[in-house]
Amino acid sequence: MARIRFAGVGKQYPNGFVALDRLDLDIRDREFLVLLGPSGCGKSTTLNMIAGLEDVTEGNLYFDDAVMNAVPPHRRDVAMVFQSYALYPHKSVYENIAFGLRMRKHAPSEIDRRVRDAARKLEIEPLLERRPNQLSGGQRQRVALGRAMVRQPAAFLMDEPLSNLDAALRISMRAELKQLHQTMQTTFVYVTHDQAEALTLADRIVVMREGVVQQTGLPDEIYEQPRNMFVASFLGNPPINFLEGKVRPDGDGVCFERGALSLVLPPHIARKVGSDAGRDVVLGIRPEDVDEHSVPRDGEVLHGRIASVLPVGSDQFLGVEVDGKQLFFRVGKELHHREGENVALSVNVNRLHLFDKASGKTLVW
Amino acid sequence: MSVAFARVGRPALLFVASVLFLGYVLAPIAWMVSSSFQPESEITSVPPHWIPHAPTAENFRAIFTTGEQAVTYETRRQGDPATGHFIPSTAKNLLPSMGNSLIVALAVVVLNLIVSVPAAYAMAKIRFIGRSTSVYFMLTTRVIPDIALVVPFFLFIHKLGLLDNLWSLIITYLAITVPFSVFILVGYFESLPDELDKAARVDGCSRLQALLRVFLPLALPSLVAVTLFTFLTCWNEFLLALMFTQTPASQTMPIVVASFASDFTISFSFINAAGVLAVVPPVILAIMFERYIVSGLTAGAVKG
Amino acid sequence: MSARSTALRGIFGHPVSGYDQRSGMLLLAPMMAVLLVVAVFPVVYSFWISLFDLKLTRPHRVPFVGFDNYVKVFHDALFWSSVGRTAMFTVMAVSAIMLIALLMALLLNEQFRGRRFLSAMLLVPWAIPYVANGLMWKWIYDSGYGALNGLLYQLDFIDKYMVWLGDTRKTLPLIANAFVWKEVPLATILLLVTMKSIPADLYSAAKVDGADVWRRFFHVTLPALRPGFTLVMIYETMMAVRHFDLFFILTEGGPAEASHVVAWEVYVESFRRLSFGTGSALAYIMALVTFLLAFSIIRTMGRKL
Repeated sequence: MARIRFAGVGKQYPNGFVALDRLDLDIRDREFLVLLGPSGCGKSTTLNMIAGLEDVTEGNLYFDDAVMNAVPPHRRDVAMVFQSYALYPHKSVYENIAFGLRMRKHAPSEIDRRVRDAARKLEIEPLLERRPNQLSGGQRQRVALGRAMVRQPAAFLMDEPLSNLDAALRISMRAELKQLHQTMQTTFVYVTHDQAEALTLADRIVVMREGVVQQTGLPDEIYEQPRNMFVASFLGNPPINFLEGKVRPDGDGVCFERGALSLVLPPHIARKVGSDAGRDVVLGIRPEDVDEHSVPRDGEVLHGRIASVLPVGSDQFLGVEVDGKQLFFRVGKELHHREGENVALSVNVNRLHLFDKASGKTLVW
Repeated sequence: MSVAFARVGRPALLFVASVLFLGYVLAPIAWMVSSSFQPESEITSVPPHWIPHAPTAENFRAIFTTGEQAVTYETRRQGDPATGHFIPSTAKNLLPSMGNSLIVALAVVVLNLIVSVPAAYAMAKIRFIGRSTSVYFMLTTRVIPDIALVVPFFLFIHKLGLLDNLWSLIITYLAITVPFSVFILVGYFESLPDELDKAARVDGCSRLQALLRVFLPLALPSLVAVTLFTFLTCWNEFLLALMFTQTPASQTMPIVVASFASDFTISFSFINAAGVLAVVPPVILAIMFERYIVSGLTAGAVKG
Repeated sequence: MSARSTALRGIFGHPVSGYDQRSGMLLLAPMMAVLLVVAVFPVVYSFWISLFDLKLTRPHRVPFVGFDNYVKVFHDALFWSSVGRTAMFTVMAVSAIMLIALLMALLLNEQFRGRRFLSAMLLVPWAIPYVANGLMWKWIYDSGYGALNGLLYQLDFIDKYMVWLGDTRKTLPLIANAFVWKEVPLATILLLVTMKSIPADLYSAAKVDGADVWRRFFHVTLPALRPGFTLVMIYETMMAVRHFDLFFILTEGGPAEASHVVAWEVYVESFRRLSFGTGSALAYIMALVTFLLAFSIIRTMGRKL
């Protein structure tokens, strides 16, 4: 199977709650697709539909042009890794991994070969005779991975598999998963609410909110060219800063105005909004897009009062009050700041984001 | 609470309470056991001998020997001449009736599991049309008292000519035991994680296979509890057995034991021996599986 | 393929996959079959019978009488006195069970050596058949040689052996005692289970608030036990109202109707007087009343929650 395709797929519960609103999605063969969004956005529902664990109430789901709506999970060629691993408590690690193969009636010698192969790759060979309750979280997670791997399925489905691990383990497992994807050359569909995870792992990201897809694209695209305020704020840590204001023509160009603040908008933005003078907009500035070493130029500088200073190892975060609003910026540690000081930050205007205040949609991309 | 109480008072209080507890719970049975080992002459002493002075096993022997003891003047006089109490010829029916009880109980246990386990799994884990209706339906059938079943069943079975057949008991007992079993099992299945079910199905199990290969091994405590309850209910059931069995060939143990009670001439020490025998199997079972009873009940019971 | 998917819709619009629907119903089928045949059918059939004047003494003439049987029952003085006796028996039994079970559960809730042994022994009365229970107490209550007489005589509470079961004032309480003895274990377990689910934090908070043992008992333990009490009350009430076995073994409804309860009346009417029509009507009334009792208990106790 090469492609998984959602055509107008919806899911509505009897009480009227819409978990998924007409999803159109084309998952390509061998890509690492991440479904990203907050809780309740429909990402797990989408994943469960691919597995067959949840039913499609509207539209059609295709595996390679075959309609799969009515096919039960045990007849689909997918493997799944769960957030809680869902290992069979009464079976040994070996049996846990072998179970799927046994159900599909593979030859015992073949089963043995595949299980030991996967165990070696995941470095859990010494654990094969143990029970799940004798393993650590990280080990259990590997067993869950192994159980999926040996099936050599057409697609891997993962439902926040790293959420229950501690921070350090999570980071190292991300690298391993990426590598696994390279080795296995199979489609991975991955669900998470962690935007850093999505940016690290994905070939493509689908950002979802309340059952609706907000944006689909490469990680870079999503980060640099967010289609609406939600996507802009969901990716990036700390989140993007928003400032409400108006656009105003200014000589040859256009600038953003809010109270005393006036920022020149670069040509590629000015072109798009030039004609709408006086329009209500929201400006987006990412915390890293300011700089305190360049010489401040007119129309490219932010003045504010420092409300908080938070050192974070390699940099520091400054909480800056600008025209009544609290913004957060990341700067280097070279200059020492104190609360109450006034500060002037140079803004990289080429990296500004502009959104329509009413709809939240981008005015730029 | 002062330290002194904790160190001395509390253990003393617990000890007294435990003694009272054990006394209340065990004394009547202990007395029955003691009586069963007393010969007729001793059992009629006033005040009673709490511990037999001359213990005898003749009551038990009467039950276990299969020889037909003709009731003649001589055999009558073998009993206590003062009271005229004697050991009846129907004593030999006790063991076969226990055999009947055993057959019925085992059959019901097996059928019960076959019927209840899939139903409980479906009600706990599968979402399908009619699920909540079936849950309410099952709960309502629990309320039906045995009495309401007696007359209609009697007529029906009589028409079918199955009156003296163990099968009539087996089917009826299923009615009584299935709702309770399903109730307990559903509670327990619901406490098992959903994700296990999902993992099994993605791994290639149909619903039935997921039940048999994943959930059943994990539900062992409640299975044991359900088996135990079902077995005991069948073993102890009286009213329906009274209605549906006429001859010793099909009578279950409670009927035979009860028949001794209504005959005023039968020796009391013999009756006690019969009682002891009737009591021994269920008590042994209950004690053996004690911890399953509590854990099997908890998952579903208090939710009520 | 149409946009409206191939998924089934239940009558309430609930989306259900064909496979899940089929497997759900298949797995449920045996239970439904058993219950329909063995629980629903008798209930319906017995209602049907209750509308006829069916007497086994003359099985070929069975006139339809509508609700006459019910009317006859309600006009029968014996019926009403049976109801009274059933009520008294139930009240006595259930109150005793709740009290004793509470005490036992409190004991078993403590940690001490030998507790496992105690809870294992607790199961003994529960496991034995009612017939054995009946025989046992009949022997204890025996007026000639019984243990009750013997014990009281030895302790000098009485100076000669008394009649117990045969004394109409004592019959019902004595039967209730035998019933309570056998029912207490299950009630104890149910209460114990509820007790164990009371979070320890509640007690700690109460202690910090300065509550002593009694206060903690009344303000933490008892209120938290309410669901357990409700369950025990419902279950034991239902058991007591319909209980039959002990009445058969111990007294057969006597002496002089002293223990003639509704369950006994149903038996006598159906299998001694052989009037199935009225017997069914009686059984039906009993079933309905049990039902209503359970509901009203849930209502009253539930509201206080």
